[in-house]
Amino acid sequence: MDRRASPADIATSSVYLDGIPHEGFTAIRETEGLVWHPYGPIGDGNGERNGFWAVARHADVREVSRNPEVFSSAVGHTNLWDLEADALEARRSLIDSDAPDHTRLRRVVSRAFTPRNTRNWEGMAREIAAELVDAFVAGGGGDWVAQVAAPLPIRVILAILGVPLEDADYLVELTNHLVEGTGDGPSLPDDAYGNTTPTRLLPFNSPASHALFEYAERMRQLRLADPGADLVSGLLEAEADGERLSANEYRNFFQLLVFAGNETTRTAMVHGALAFAEHPEQWAELCHDPSLITRAVDEVIRWATPVLHMRRTASCDTELAGTSIAAGDKVVMWYAAANRDPTVFEDPFRFDVTRVENPHFAFGGGGPHFCLGAFLARMEIQVLLEEMVARNVVLQPRSAPVHLASNFVHGVASLDLGVAS
Amino acid sequence: MNDLVQLTVDEDRCIGVGQCELLEPEVFCLSDEDTISRVVDGAVLDRARALAVVEGCPNMAISVKA
Ligand code: HEM
Ligand code: SF4
Repeated sequence: MDRRASPADIATSSVYLDGIPHEGFTAIRETEGLVWHPYGPIGDGNGERNGFWAVARHADVREVSRNPEVFSSAVGHTNLWDLEADALEARRSLIDSDAPDHTRLRRVVSRAFTPRNTRNWEGMAREIAAELVDAFVAGGGGDWVAQVAAPLPIRVILAILGVPLEDADYLVELTNHLVEGTGDGPSLPDDAYGNTTPTRLLPFNSPASHALFEYAERMRQLRLADPGADLVSGLLEAEADGERLSANEYRNFFQLLVFAGNETTRTAMVHGALAFAEHPEQWAELCHDPSLITRAVDEVIRWATPVLHMRRTASCDTELAGTSIAAGDKVVMWYAAANRDPTVFEDPFRFDVTRVENPHFAFGGGGPHFCLGAFLARMEIQVLLEEMVARNVVLQPRSAPVHLASNFVHGVASLDLGVAS
Repeated sequence: MNDLVQLTVDEDRCIGVGQCELLEPEVFCLSDEDTISRVVDGAVLDRARALAVVEGCPNMAISVKA
């Protein structure tokens, strides 16, 4: 079968060292139908066979997201690479299951993350944000990632989970290793953290997942013996349709939360801070009219698009954008491209905190997997910006951000920012 | 003309995101028990707002009652 070849490389992780390849995405968006993108080593021909359909237009991402019967999360999985059946089963969690398993799991965990519940955590998050911003200002600026954007979300999610604060640095370290697992770069030795499980069975192929599982198990024992008001206790008690989370479901979900609730929100806070530093008029506008806050938060999230893509796998022969897709084909939704689609966003490459129409897909294009933490992430970003507005903190760029070589998370390793006095 | 409509939630589709309750707290109530959104008895909305909340549900669980 003849497949239209992708006009640009958007899959090689090192491409992202220069930031999102927006020109490439624009070329793909403007190509009629869908394009087929190679993945993996190209020379031996496998790259062509292991490739994927690149979905870049907003309307098409929406279509894929909202048809989970056709575009499955459980057949194959939701990252670009393929897994063997046993690895897939061992790793299975919320994000790579389909109904009815997904529906059951999601209901067990979603009660904690409704807007109403999220509000209960706002005071805690605000205190943490205020403390970190004060320290950053007192130090005259520095690495925004290490000093504010990384510690804030991890401290919030750990507080929600009921994990002791002194373990925060250790968990940040583990999740950093998980992100490395999505890049091409060297990662940990297979036996790091005393791991003995073959890494292909572990989330992100990373021995750090083993360490996270061990940590999760320790928390489980602790809370089973001595339940509290925290989320881990809640999860252990929660039932859906008379069933509890199995030990395996619990630890996979624990690891998913620590990862998903952390790296993503951090990334939004990094790109947000950089955008405000580079567009001081936008910051002035927000400070002048704090009622813009909710729009500003969503614009920061659109601008950052922390999760660059999610994958689905066609469960049957189908068609999208006039292109035939065969059962078993990988279909990859590039949120990074959908969030710059000019047919949906006016002047998409402008950072604009007053944007009214902003139906971005940074939390997914809808459908059952829509980000569980969307309200939590928005709340965290909002309290951070509010605490900065309250202190009249004006950030200034000092040097270019150091991007991660990842085609999955729009990550930044470090970002040096100054504070105007 | 004030065109008021009633909404329903498909309990098999609802994943308990709570977008509906956020948009229209008077109309939707998420049950703490089973995390399924329910429409408050007798609640109505004008058509434009109803369509916005139908569109706002990420899992297409809400529809306008015929
Ligand atoms: C700005 C920050 C965040 C971004 C950009 C983000 C993005 C995403 C995306 C794109 C998905 C997949 C959606 C899909 O496949 O349709 C997702 C799913 C998920 N997110 Fe987030 N996320 C963020 C913050 C959080 C937080 C704070 C949590 C912690 C509770 C979280 C937990 C999850 C979970 C558990 C899933 C899987 C849901 C499922 O499969 O049913 N996320 N997120
Ligand atoms: S927005 Fe949709 S999925 Fe979410 S709680 Fe309301 S009805 Fe359920």
